[in-house]
Amino acid sequence: MAITDLPEFVRADGPDKVTGSGRYTADMTLTGQLVAKFKYAGVPSARVTKLDVTAARAIPGVFAVLTQDDVPDVRYSYGIADRTLFVKDVVRFDGEVVAAVAAINDKIAQQALDAIVFEYDELPAVTDLEAAIADGSPLVHADLDAYEVTGDTPHYGNVGTHSSIEMGDVDAALASADHVISSRFLADASHATPIEPRSVIAQWEGERVTVWTSTQVPFDARAGVSETLEVPSNRVRIVAPHVGGGFGGKCGAHFEPHIAALAKAAKRPVKLVFSRWEEFVAPDRRRESMVIDVTTGVMNDGTIVARTGNILLDNGAYMADSSFFPQAAAMHVAGPYVIPNVKIDARLVYTNHQPSGSVRAPTAPQGCWAVESHTDEIAATIGMDALDFRRKNIVTTGSVGAVGQTYDEIGLDQCLEKAAASAGWGQELPEGEALGISVGWWPSFHAPAGAYAKMHGDGAVQIITGASECGTGSVMTLRMLAADELGIDETSIELIYQDTGAAPSGPGSSGSMTLFNHGRAVERASRQISDQLKELAATQLEANVDDIVLANGVASVAGTPSASVPIVELAGASEDGELLGSASTEALEWPEIVGSSCLGDQGFASWMAPQFSCHVARVRVDKDTGVTRVLEVHAAHDSGTIINPMAAHGQVEGGILMGIGQALTEGTQYDDSGRQRNAGLLEYKLQTIADAPKISTEFVEIYTPNAGPKGAKGLAEAPNVATCGAINNAIANAIGTRLNQLPMTAERVWNAIEGEVE
Amino acid sequence: MTLTIASSIDDIIAALAAGARPIAGGTDLVVGSRQGKGSLPDSLIAIDRVEALGVIDRGDAETRLGAGVTHARLMTEPTIVDHFTAIADAAALVGSPATRNVGTVGGNVMNGSPAMDTGSPLVVLGAQAELTNASGSRLVSLDELWVGPGTTSAAPDELCTALVIPNMGEGGGSAYVRLEYRRAMEIAIVGAAAAVTLDGDNVRSIRVALTAVAPTILEVTGLDDLVGKPLDDDALSAVAAAASEQASPISDLRASDRYRRHTIGVMARRAADAAARRASGEDISVPVNRALGVGATA
Repeated sequence: MAITDLPEFVRADGPDKVTGSGRYTADMTLTGQLVAKFKYAGVPSARVTKLDVTAARAIPGVFAVLTQDDVPDVRYSYGIADRTLFVKDVVRFDGEVVAAVAAINDKIAQQALDAIVFEYDELPAVTDLEAAIADGSPLVHADLDAYEVTGDTPHYGNVGTHSSIEMGDVDAALASADHVISSRFLADASHATPIEPRSVIAQWEGERVTVWTSTQVPFDARAGVSETLEVPSNRVRIVAPHVGGGFGGKCGAHFEPHIAALAKAAKRPVKLVFSRWEEFVAPDRRRESMVIDVTTGVMNDGTIVARTGNILLDNGAYMADSSFFPQAAAMHVAGPYVIPNVKIDARLVYTNHQPSGSVRAPTAPQGCWAVESHTDEIAATIGMDALDFRRKNIVTTGSVGAVGQTYDEIGLDQCLEKAAASAGWGQELPEGEALGISVGWWPSFHAPAGAYAKMHGDGAVQIITGASECGTGSVMTLRMLAADELGIDETSIELIYQDTGAAPSGPGSSGSMTLFNHGRAVERASRQISDQLKELAATQLEANVDDIVLANGVASVAGTPSASVPIVELAGASEDGELLGSASTEALEWPEIVGSSCLGDQGFASWMAPQFSCHVARVRVDKDTGVTRVLEVHAAHDSGTIINPMAAHGQVEGGILMGIGQALTEGTQYDDSGRQRNAGLLEYKLQTIADAPKISTEFVEIYTPNAGPKGAKGLAEAPNVATCGAINNAIANAIGTRLNQLPMTAERVWNAIEGEVE
Repeated sequence: MTLTIASSIDDIIAALAAGARPIAGGTDLVVGSRQGKGSLPDSLIAIDRVEALGVIDRGDAETRLGAGVTHARLMTEPTIVDHFTAIADAAALVGSPATRNVGTVGGNVMNGSPAMDTGSPLVVLGAQAELTNASGSRLVSLDELWVGPGTTSAAPDELCTALVIPNMGEGGGSAYVRLEYRRAMEIAIVGAAAAVTLDGDNVRSIRVALTAVAPTILEVTGLDDLVGKPLDDDALSAVAAAASEQASPISDLRASDRYRRHTIGVMARRAADAAARRASGEDISVPVNRALGVGATA
C-alpha cells in the first residue's frame, strides 16, 4: 500500500483531545501533592543584599522553601553557562526566580512567598541594544569571561555570541554597483504563547525522580534535571502527558529542576501550574527583538552584486538556547538569493530583559520580514516588478548561495511561480487592497534519534519513540511510516512516546526534527520487524523471502496472492513469541560550503535539506485607521516529499496564522526599566480563528536525498518564516509607504500613512 | 463566600438589602477578580435565573429591556435588531460567543466601564435605567447613573431591573461602530454610536456618543447645526471633528491619545453615516463593523 493511498489521516491522539478524555499535566493529582509557587525578583537589575526564608519556612503547612543555597552550585545554558536555577547574588531580569515554595495549599504557599525577606540595591538596567554594545555600558554579566563556554561562541562586553558571514569583496562590489540601497528595521519581541501554560509535577521514590511536565523535549528536560541537581540521568524519568502547544517555547528544560528539588526537600510530590502572567514573564524562551541594518548593491538589470548587514539581537539576561541566533539571523538577512559578495555581522546582546530562546523558526520571521521588505525596496528603486526581481535573484538548483553552498535539486523557483499564480499576481484590486510577496527558507537538521518497534504475539504493534507531540501532528505521522513498512493499518498501531523511561533518546519536538529524525528511526526499527515477518511468511508459505509482500494485513507471495497468511498470525509463531526491532538514525552529510568564512559558526552555515517557501498575502488596509486585515495568503512550500498531506496543510495554515499575529498584533512592550507591560492575553493580542484569512497551500514535492524518510524535509517551522514579509510588502503596496517596525500595528500603519515616524 | 440562587426579583432585593452583590453572567466580576482587580464579595446573589429580568416588552411609546437580557439575545431579537439596531451592533462585538451567551445588558451598564459596548448605543437612544429596591423603582438617566470609571450612583441595595428606551418611530436609525484590531475577543479601543431621525433627506435629530475616550460614555454636544440639512460629507466631517475635539482620550498599551483622538472621529463619522442610511431604509446587517468592513472586519 503506497502511503499516499491511505484514505485519511487519523490522529492517534485526536479523539482524546477532542472529547476531553486526554490528560494534560495540570489535570494530574498525586496523593499528598503540594503546591509550588515561585518568588520572582520583580526587578530587572539588582544586587541582592538580603534573602532570608526563615520566617517562610516556619509557617505551618510550608514543607520546603528553596533558594540557590539549597541546590548544587551549577551554572548552565547552551553556549555560555551563564545562569543558575535561582537568583545568585545578582538579579538580571524581573521574572527571575528568587525562591521556590512547596506548601499544603495555594493560600499558605502565597503566605510563604510574602514572608520571604528579599532586599536588594537596584542596578542600572541594560535595555537598549545599541547602548548595550557602546563603550561604557553597564555589563549584564560582569563575570562573563569566567563562565564555561562551549562551541564557537565569540563573546565580549554585553555580546554573548558574535557571528558573521563573509564572502567575496563587498567594498569593491558596492563601489561598482549601479544602485546601493540601505534599509533599517526594528522588530519587537514576541512570545510563543502556547494555550496551555506550563505545568510540572515531580515525585521521588528513593533516589529516583519522576517528573511529569509540559515539555517539547523530554530528553532535554531530563538533561536539565540531571545536570543542575547532579542526579545521574538513569534516575530521572521525564513523562510528558498531552502537551497543549509549545511553538518552541517549551523546548529545553525549564522548571523541571526547581520542582524536582522542591519535591525532594518536601518529601512529597509537588505540582507547579503557571498562570498566564508567569507564562509571559518567567520562561527563558521568548522571540527576540532585533535591530537590522542592511545594504544591497544592485545593477540596473536587477542583478544583486553585494550585501552588507548589521544585526543586533536581544538575548535578554541569559543564553538559554540562543547561541545560534546570530548566525541564523545572518543567514536570513542574506536570504535565499545568489549574492557573490556578502559581509553580515550579527551580535546577540545581553540585556536585562527576559531571556530569548527558541520560538518556532528562531530569528527567521523578523530576519525574513526585514530582508524581504528590503528586497521590494530594491526592486522599486530600479523599477522592477517584485516578482520578476526575485525570479532573477533567488537560488535555484545548482546555484551557489550567499555562504558558498551549492544547492542540489530545490524548488524555490516553483514555489515562487505557484504562489504568485494562485494569488493572481498583477491583477487589479479594489482601492485599499494589495498583494505582497515574500520568499523564505529554513534548514533541516540531522540529530541522533532512536526508536523501538514491537509486534506482540497477538500481532499488535507498539512503536516506542523519543519523539514528542506538541500539536504538530508529526508524531502521529510516525504511525503511517510504520504501517507502510509493516503492511498493516496505521490505526492498529499504538504509540508510546513522551516518556524517557521507555524510549531511546532524540530531539523531541524541536527544530522541525520529529519526522526528519525520529521518522527515520521508526522506519528502520519497523523494517527490522518486517524483515522478520517476511522470513516467517516465507517459511510458512514455502516461498522465497524476497518474494514476500506485506500489504493490507497479509503476507503474500508476489504474483500468487492466494498464497498468503495474515500478518497478525506470524509474530506468535516466531521463536521468541514476539518480534523486536530497535534502530537509530544514520548520520546525514552536511553540505559543503566553499569560499566563505564564518565567525561564530553554530552549525547554521551549511543547510541540510533546506526548505523553501513563498507566501503572497492579500491585505486590505483601512486608511482612515491603519487597521490591516489579511484577506488571503497563498503559500507554496518545498519541504521535499509530503508524507501526511492533511497534517502538512495544518502546519502551513497554523504557521501562517502565527505569522499574521507577529505581523500585525503581537509585540511585547517594555517599560523603561525592562519590565513587560503587556504580559497577558488582554493586551498581548493573538490572532483568533475569526481573523484567519483564506489560505491556499501548494507543495512542491521534490524527492530529496540526504534527508528525512522517503525524501521528506522538515515542515514545522518553515510556514512561520515568510508571512510577515509578505504582509509588509502588501501594506506598502496598499498605502504607498513602507513600515520598518514589527509588529505593524494599526497605529503604526496609520502613522506611516500620515508620514509620522515613532 | 455564599452564593444564593434567586428565583424572583423580590429574592434579589431582599438579598441586596442584606449586603449581597448581584451576579448574572459574571463576565466582569469573576474575570476582574481573577485579574486581581478586587476579590469576590462574601455574599453573592445569582440573578440569571429570574425570568422577569429577561423580558423585552415593546410598548406604544417605549420599550422595556430587561436587565438580564444577554448579548446573544440583543444581537438577534427582532425588536432590538429592527428598532434599536445600535444595541445589536454593539452586543454582536462583545467578547466571544461564550461571553455573549452569559453577559447581560444590565451587567454591562452597572459595571460602569467607559469601554462598555452597549453604553453609547443606550445613550444615543435616550435609555434610562430602572433601579429597584425595597421601597420601589425609579428611573435614572444614564449620565446621572455613570459618575466615573467603574462607578455608578446606584445605592448598594438597588438592582438595575431594566433599561427603558423611548421608541424611535418612523425615519429613525441607529448604529454602533468600533475600532478593532482583531475580529473577536476584542475590547473597545474607541467606539461610537449614533441615532439619527430623518425628515425626507434632512436630519430631524441626531445624537452621537463615544466609547472609551473619557471617564464615562461621552455624548457629543453641539450637533444642533446639522438639523434640517442632509447628513452629507460636510455634515459627517463636522460630526467627526466634534467627536475628536470633545474626546479626552488617554495613552495606554492599546493606543496613544493622538491615535484615539483621530480614530474616534472616524468611528463617529461612520456611525452617523450608517445610522442615517438605516434611517433612510437601507438594510445594513448587524453588526455594522462586519457589514461595512470597518477596520479589521472586512
